[in-house]
Amino acid sequence: MTTAAPPVNQLTPLEWVRKNLFKNWWSGVLTILLIPLILVLGYRAFLFFFVNGQWEAVQRNLTLFMIGTFDREMEWRIYSQILLFVLAFGIGLGTNSAAVQDRAEDAGLPYERSSVLATVGRMWSLVVFLGILLWFASTDDVGGLLNPFLLIGAAVAVLLVGFQAFRFPRRLRSAGWLLTATFLVLGFQVVSGFDVGGWLPLGLTYGIAAYMVAPVGRFEAGWLRIVMRLVAAVAVVAVIRTIYALVDSPGIGWDEWSGLHLTLMVSAIAIVLAFPLGLLLALGRRSTLPAVRIMSTMYIEVIRGVPLITLLFMGQFILGFMLPAGTDLSAVSRAIAAMTLFTAAYVAEIVRGGLQALPRGQTEAGQALGLAPPTIMNRIVLPQALRAVIPAMVGQFISLFKDSSLLFIISIVEFLRVRSLVHTQPDFRAVSIAETLVFVAIGYWAFAFAMSRESQRLERRLRVTR
Amino acid sequence: MTSEQQQVFSDATQAKGESVIELRDVDKFFGDFQALADINMNVGKQEVVVVIGPSGSGKSTLIRCINRLEKHDRGTIVVDGIELSDDIKNIQEIRRETGMVFQQFNLFPHLTVIDNITLAPRQVRHEAKDEAEANAMQLLERVGIPDQARKYPGQLSGGQQQRVAIARSLAMKPKVMLFDEPTSALDPEMIKEVLDVMVELAEGGMTMICVTHEMGFARAVADRVVFMADGQIVEVGTPEHFFTNPQEERTKLFLSQIL
Repeated sequence: MTTAAPPVNQLTPLEWVRKNLFKNWWSGVLTILLIPLILVLGYRAFLFFFVNGQWEAVQRNLTLFMIGTFDREMEWRIYSQILLFVLAFGIGLGTNSAAVQDRAEDAGLPYERSSVLATVGRMWSLVVFLGILLWFASTDDVGGLLNPFLLIGAAVAVLLVGFQAFRFPRRLRSAGWLLTATFLVLGFQVVSGFDVGGWLPLGLTYGIAAYMVAPVGRFEAGWLRIVMRLVAAVAVVAVIRTIYALVDSPGIGWDEWSGLHLTLMVSAIAIVLAFPLGLLLALGRRSTLPAVRIMSTMYIEVIRGVPLITLLFMGQFILGFMLPAGTDLSAVSRAIAAMTLFTAAYVAEIVRGGLQALPRGQTEAGQALGLAPPTIMNRIVLPQALRAVIPAMVGQFISLFKDSSLLFIISIVEFLRVRSLVHTQPDFRAVSIAETLVFVAIGYWAFAFAMSRESQRLERRLRVTR
Repeated sequence: MTSEQQQVFSDATQAKGESVIELRDVDKFFGDFQALADINMNVGKQEVVVVIGPSGSGKSTLIRCINRLEKHDRGTIVVDGIELSDDIKNIQEIRRETGMVFQQFNLFPHLTVIDNITLAPRQVRHEAKDEAEANAMQLLERVGIPDQARKYPGQLSGGQQQRVAIARSLAMKPKVMLFDEPTSALDPEMIKEVLDVMVELAEGGMTMICVTHEMGFARAVADRVVFMADGQIVEVGTPEHFFTNPQEERTKLFLSQIL
């Protein structure tokens, strides 16, 4: 038997044009009408971007757009943050890539390790944005930033170093994830400061890690093992607390952040907080306990019925009455609280949809095996339900990211608000506002699009074949 | 019915020896619809009982009541000396004693074959990973697919998936296996490989209740055949009795339709 190759349908360019642009008379008419329109719009856009546009307002205020009113003396903290985040990203990418490869090998599936380049290609919108920044920064009149090329070079180097985590042997895969988390936290705290109270995120991470890897094999009794695990966890937490107490160096709190930096950080914090809260609300709404169910349902329905702006205002003016007297919450904390509470309600409904879509047989199989209800939830239901709702969830997070521009109404200088500072400067009071607006729009788009692409990749990678 | 036939029939309604599963006067309603009416039956140690009947006759509901996937409304169900109650501990205990194989396999698609099998032993019986995996490999060998251990269910054929599902149930070392139409969702050429595993299991002395439409399997392996219609047990007997000399009109009608 000879194996035949699949038939090749290679069209010549002319055939392609005929098939796709002039298939019948009305598609031909549409093509003839639309091609000039596209050409004209493209030409206008070209003129705006490269010939007529007055980009000086953006160019001279690049630092202002990036970090707003952030203390210029403290800029090094932001550079360190960028490098630490890139390092964490690189390690995560390398570890993830190796983990995917492990699984494919086990299952006997072909797999090619993804390269750093592929990831960068997937996030090309960020590369475009970065390119625009560099283009502006390449002139000598940038006002503040260190040599941006130096920074980018360092970032690329750090990314490549981090990616080497894929060389870790298999048993160190979780160490890769631990390092990723560590550098994320350190990156955050290099700006917000390593003060005494900052031990919590790393303490929690390493405490849990210590609990899981504590060498308790030589203890026979189950309770003794648990006790020894707890001892290990507490010891590790104590060490981390002590380190933080010794270092105790305050940084720049989020009240003093602004610009794109604030937008990104506030969105990230709200996303990280809203996800677990939404998950709990979704489970609460399906709880068999009436009190829990009614409370969750009421919360979700009330929050979903109120505009985010209302919540932001309420956070500023009403939250104070509900908290104990003397609690002094900053404007940014209130805004983060409002955004978190708002998004959690939507996340809850998205997760509930995923839970409902899961076939009943999955739960039943778990029950029939004698698994406890929490095990069924954690090991069978949630992993599948959450995978199924990745696109909707990321959509909600993109929405949150863009809605952070609403913070301007409570006088927080986020990315969009920087424009109004620019246009109060004597030089730019009278210039067209289109350029700054377009620049900010491209900035938002670059990040939102990268998130969307990343969600598509996750969706493909985690897809479950039934 | 001659008295001799009567004798055969009533002998067969009771299991010989010690009974592992006992149902007494069990009723089950879905809303106003009575799915099970006055079910009395028992299953002895190492016995294979095949339940047949038209669709909607309550066969699946019957075995789903035994491990509390459905809650019965009246009557008592005793599994291995434990009476089924509303207490979750009690239910868990019974579920550990009974394995179940579903029509739709219900494997966990996000876990590899070996993880599907070891999940319950590790979580419920707190077996160490190595031990659980060694057991799982043995079971996979027994059902004939040790080379598929690291694959995902979606990569396997229906017959292979169902054999993994059987191995997954066996990993909990159950005293009783419940089969809910295990071959009904399979392509014809895969039915045999699953039935072979079930036959081997029966020959190994496993106590089994099988809801199935495979009359060949019933004839070859069953100690008793139970015929159900409209939520009731209509007739119980040995396979010979059943296929050669059914007594009830309803049974005759059903057999004439499927054979």
